Amino acid sequence: MTDALSFPDPTQLAIPFFVAAILIEFTWIALKHRGGRYETRDAVTSLIMGAGSVASGLVLGFIAYGFFMFLWSLTPLDLGTSLPVIVLCFVLDDLRYYWVHRFGHRIRWVWASHVNHHSSQHYNLTTALRQTWTGTFTFKMVVSAPLILLGFHPALVLFCGGLNLIYQFWIHTEAIDRLPRWFEAVMNTPSHHRVHHGRNARYLDCNYAGVFIIWDKMFGTFVPEQASEKVDYGLVHNIGTFNPLRVAFHEWLSIWRDVTQPGLSLRQRLAYAFAPPGYSHDGSRDTSDRIKAKHLVRHPEDRGTPGFKGAADAGAGGSVQQTL
Amino acid sequence: MSLEILLILVVGGIAGIALLLHLTGQSARRLLTPEAARADWLRHFPDDAVIDVTVARDGHAALLRTETGPGLLWSFGADTVGRHLLDFDLIDHPKGFRIIFHDFTAPQVTLHLTEEERPHWKRLISPHD
Repeated sequence: MTDALSFPDPTQLAIPFFVAAILIEFTWIALKHRGGRYETRDAVTSLIMGAGSVASGLVLGFIAYGFFMFLWSLTPLDLGTSLPVIVLCFVLDDLRYYWVHRFGHRIRWVWASHVNHHSSQHYNLTTALRQTWTGTFTFKMVVSAPLILLGFHPALVLFCGGLNLIYQFWIHTEAIDRLPRWFEAVMNTPSHHRVHHGRNARYLDCNYAGVFIIWDKMFGTFVPEQASEKVDYGLVHNIGTFNPLRVAFHEWLSIWRDVTQPGLSLRQRLAYAFAPPGYSHDGSRDTSDRIKAKHLVRHPEDRGTPGFKGAADAGAGGSVQQTL
Repeated sequence: MSLEILLILVVGGIAGIALLLHLTGQSARRLLTPEAARADWLRHFPDDAVIDVTVARDGHAALLRTETGPGLLWSFGADTVGRHLLDFDLIDHPKGFRIIFHDFTAPQVTLHLTEEERPHWKRLISPHD
């Protein structure tokens, strides 16, 4: 079994490309007067979040890597590093990403880490770099465990994860409208990912894909961008700060305050930490299901259209109960 | 990549992009009209019913009376942020008022108001004082 295997860190190597691409996108927008917008403090906050995320990886990365190496010591399987194995690992790691990302939107503990990526009201290439500092504390590395146990070396899994993140960089743009139909059908694209960043009721909790949009189509979470409804970027409750520390930690603090408030049952405290974002024991807040249901009350004509199929219909038709 | 080169790339990249954006006018704050303030409030709080809107003369803040109580909308870079006026402190400030929200995600806002605007805004913000 190979222990001493190393791959380059693709995200660090890509930093010059990130800077160049941001300059190109900004210049293109400035020349064409369309395709997105930039704001100084928003962009700087996003870039600092990106730098902090790299720093966080340097400081805390040993935890995930140590966990992976422990799993590697347990498994009798070693698939090696041939090209077909690398390709297979990349595809399976993208499936892993889909589920981590979906958990990131549906479990508040994971959302506390991921929320900062959605905290900008802008959508440009700097938004791609608005990454978490606290991913290690979500224990999302557990979702990678099957890959290691199947015989993919930890260094290869981390390498594929880095490539996945680099792919996702270029789709954070309004400068590209739609790509050829075959590409939109299989791959995650700027159009699909714009939808994912929407705070519109229609666009909440969908398009979790990293590289291949097929996962959303397989698991029923795909919503296509609608020409009739422009994406409104940001959070349901937008934050009013450019301070990176507040951006990075605000939801963790909010969880702490909710969990420790007096008079709750153990079940309610756990729900504040692990139920979908928007849970409240007294129904005073809205989950995404409830936001969709309320939207359908105001706009019944949207019922059954993309983004309003399934759970939201049930929520609108019956009681919108979320108390425990 | 060595840590030194990584640091130079990151710090240089952030500083360069910040300078470019600022020098090309991307630091301008959103200017509000009553119509824009109403639309933005409903964007943030689609369940609300807005009764009336008062926009500050500098165009960077608006007070909205809604059926659920007063709310403050203010320019946040090129966009806006809004909060219902529920849990806050109002403090006099040389340029108007400072509102301290007890909210980690929107800690404070400085309202730039003329001498004539201040009493009216104070009445609207704290009607029982």
